[in-house]
Amino acid sequence: MTALVALDGVSKRFGRNTVLQDVSLQVAPGSIHAVVGENGAGKSTLMNILSGLHQPDGGRLLIDGEVARLKGPLDAIDRGISAVHQELSLFPNRTIAENIMVRREPARYGFVKRAELEARAGEALARIGSALDPSQPLSGLGIGEQQVVEIARALERRARLLILDEPTAALTDHDASRLLDVLRDLRAKGAAVLYVSHRLAEVLSIADTISVLRDGRLVATLQGAEATEDDLVRLMVGREPEPLAARSAGAPGPDVLVASNLGRPKAFADVSFSLRRGEVLGFAGLIGAGRTEVARAIFGADALVTGSMTLDGAPFRPRSPREAIALGVSYLTEDRRALGLFPGLSLGDNVVAASQPAVASRLGFLRPERLKEAAMAFLRRLDVRPLDASVEVANLSGGNQQKVLLARWLMAVPRVFIVDEPTRGVDVGAKGRIHAEIQDLARSGVSVLLVSSDLREVLALSHRVAVFRAGRLVRILEAAEANEETVMRYAAL
Amino acid sequence: MEEVQGKRAGVGREAVLLATILVLAAALSVARPGFLNSENLISIATGMVYDLPIAMAATLVLVVGGIDLSLGAVLALSSVVTTLSLRAGAPIPLAILAGLAVAAAVGALNGLLVTRFRLAPFIVTLGTMSLARGAAVVLTSGYMVAGLPPAFLALGRERFLLLPVAIWIVAALLIAGHTLLLRYRPLHDAFYVGQNKEAARLSGLRADAVTTSVYVISALLAGVAALFMSSRLGMGYARFGELAELRAIAAAVLGGASFSGGAGSILGSALGVLLLALIQNGFVLLNLSIHWQNVATGLVLLLAITIDALRRRHAGERA
Repeated sequence: MTALVALDGVSKRFGRNTVLQDVSLQVAPGSIHAVVGENGAGKSTLMNILSGLHQPDGGRLLIDGEVARLKGPLDAIDRGISAVHQELSLFPNRTIAENIMVRREPARYGFVKRAELEARAGEALARIGSALDPSQPLSGLGIGEQQVVEIARALERRARLLILDEPTAALTDHDASRLLDVLRDLRAKGAAVLYVSHRLAEVLSIADTISVLRDGRLVATLQGAEATEDDLVRLMVGREPEPLAARSAGAPGPDVLVASNLGRPKAFADVSFSLRRGEVLGFAGLIGAGRTEVARAIFGADALVTGSMTLDGAPFRPRSPREAIALGVSYLTEDRRALGLFPGLSLGDNVVAASQPAVASRLGFLRPERLKEAAMAFLRRLDVRPLDASVEVANLSGGNQQKVLLARWLMAVPRVFIVDEPTRGVDVGAKGRIHAEIQDLARSGVSVLLVSSDLREVLALSHRVAVFRAGRLVRILEAAEANEETVMRYAAL
Repeated sequence: MEEVQGKRAGVGREAVLLATILVLAAALSVARPGFLNSENLISIATGMVYDLPIAMAATLVLVVGGIDLSLGAVLALSSVVTTLSLRAGAPIPLAILAGLAVAAAVGALNGLLVTRFRLAPFIVTLGTMSLARGAAVVLTSGYMVAGLPPAFLALGRERFLLLPVAIWIVAALLIAGHTLLLRYRPLHDAFYVGQNKEAARLSGLRADAVTTSVYVISALLAGVAALFMSSRLGMGYARFGELAELRAIAAAVLGGASFSGGAGSILGSALGVLLLALIQNGFVLLNLSIHWQNVATGLVLLLAITIDALRRRHAGERA
């Protein structure tokens, strides 16, 4: 049987970064084909190529056995390939019917025929067993129902291949199992589904074929029926388990930050751990497992609903980042553009943002000379280029911007330092510098909470690793037992 | 100092404005020697006395990432409250205080709605604009409030070292405002909040308090303008300051403020007011139709922001 869609030796680079290399796979009609891999293995890029968002740099894309070149997502949709992305692409202020029929509204002389619009939307919903009322506004729906609307839209566009990216990540168990039923039903009707997911148990329960990506390469394609969780984990990680090296010298001291039963409905629950003096405690887990939410709650950026914390033995419950900072807690955000940088301000202003009292007189007047001097000391220590406090931070590379943010928090002299994805999107040189800084901090007695989706980073820097799954801290691994395989096992199963 | 404070537009913008002003002034003085006449210069300065505090206010709000359309209406309401208080027999200081208090109250309402309820500043201040202007009309039934005590009128007409006192006060406000915005920490925080409110909060700044304070300070500046206007013109009136906020925003943008927040300079905005005032004066001196004046003002503003956008895009491409 000819594959509906096939990739033949496809490669993709972004700048100097090769994200996909020589990947070949075939998606057959009437089948569910899963793609699994660690964060950054190239799954999203693969999806984006299939859905016409990116062009491959090398290799061929075949549709119905013929070489095809997708000019963009609309072209892909016209050829029967529809993608449901993690960020839904719906219009919240329009009705369900309008969302399903967008770009295909039945009309006469440019006037939309509403009755037919709603009837056709209703048919599309009925085909996947949904009883949603197409005349209702979309905004009243939960994430799960919105996903159903997206799928109905894809079907109404006569999609033959449906691409789903982490469709169950934001769903409750009940909604997730309903969604999987919908997909099985589509398969029975002859459609093909490409299913990208981190959730191995789910993948094994639904996929006919499973392709495993690692570092941009396709390492294996298995039959769903004969694969096991162990196989998948080993293939995704790809190396024999390495023991945690003696990464940070010196044994951690007494408990500094103790958290018990932290929780917030719909975000995380039952998170308990202790962070010791001079320790790096890794927070590992899949994207969306609730690690950042916990980190932000500890820092007072978001509310904590249940649980309690102590800092050096005293009750600790900051109501704002301001309070947390005053008590010696720093938080390096995972999203430096949206939540970290002041793009139009200078490096100097960016660095001193969290420690202005130190560069102001008692009456609150800033002292430009001292401000510049203080900022320069940290910029020099982290080797920021250009080494000039007056340059606008927007002009710097990603790695240097990250160093500027790190400098901001080093200047605040934390006792507890929460670093969230400290090396996301930075070059190798900056990454090494940031890792060295984290280790130095721990050695000097700072307690570090390292949230990272880069498993190798977590393992290389952490004394212990707390593994999160679906909003819960499922296991704290001691150095001796923490390796890529054990972490993946707790994170994904 | 400028470089460390790192604003987007910075010194370059102010220098360009100043050069434009000097060229325009030179051209006017050649075409009409009467331009340099001290009475003409003082009349230009006197005319700017009302616009400058409003422009300062508009700048502060733009820096913190907002916009304030209620400034002209606050001016009117404040003038009406002060003059009505005087008519009711209140002592001058108390009447002035009442006018400033009502201005501050509108500013606080703006700040509260923008921060606590996360409403869009444009809509909030559009509402309070209508509210304040409407209240001023209701309080006066649309009539001017005249018959004020001579001592109050003297405030706006008194001269000190050849210049009206109001000019000295506004000059002092400008210098203080410019310095404080760059150097005084609580006010300088407006740059952080305007650039990235959430990053400011995560850096331990009181983003909401900064924003609210800025709206209150701005409304107070409109109250100051109201004081000058009602004492100089000898009355309070519900139609004072119509469109003043839009002229002020134009001047602030000429001076380097940005609608995306986190940029702007009070010195730059003052130069912007001066440029607009010179254009107006030129039209008068050259006997040109007053109707074309708005066209010219509009063209200058569009030209300035277009050049600025092109320059910024160019800089972005090089980076």
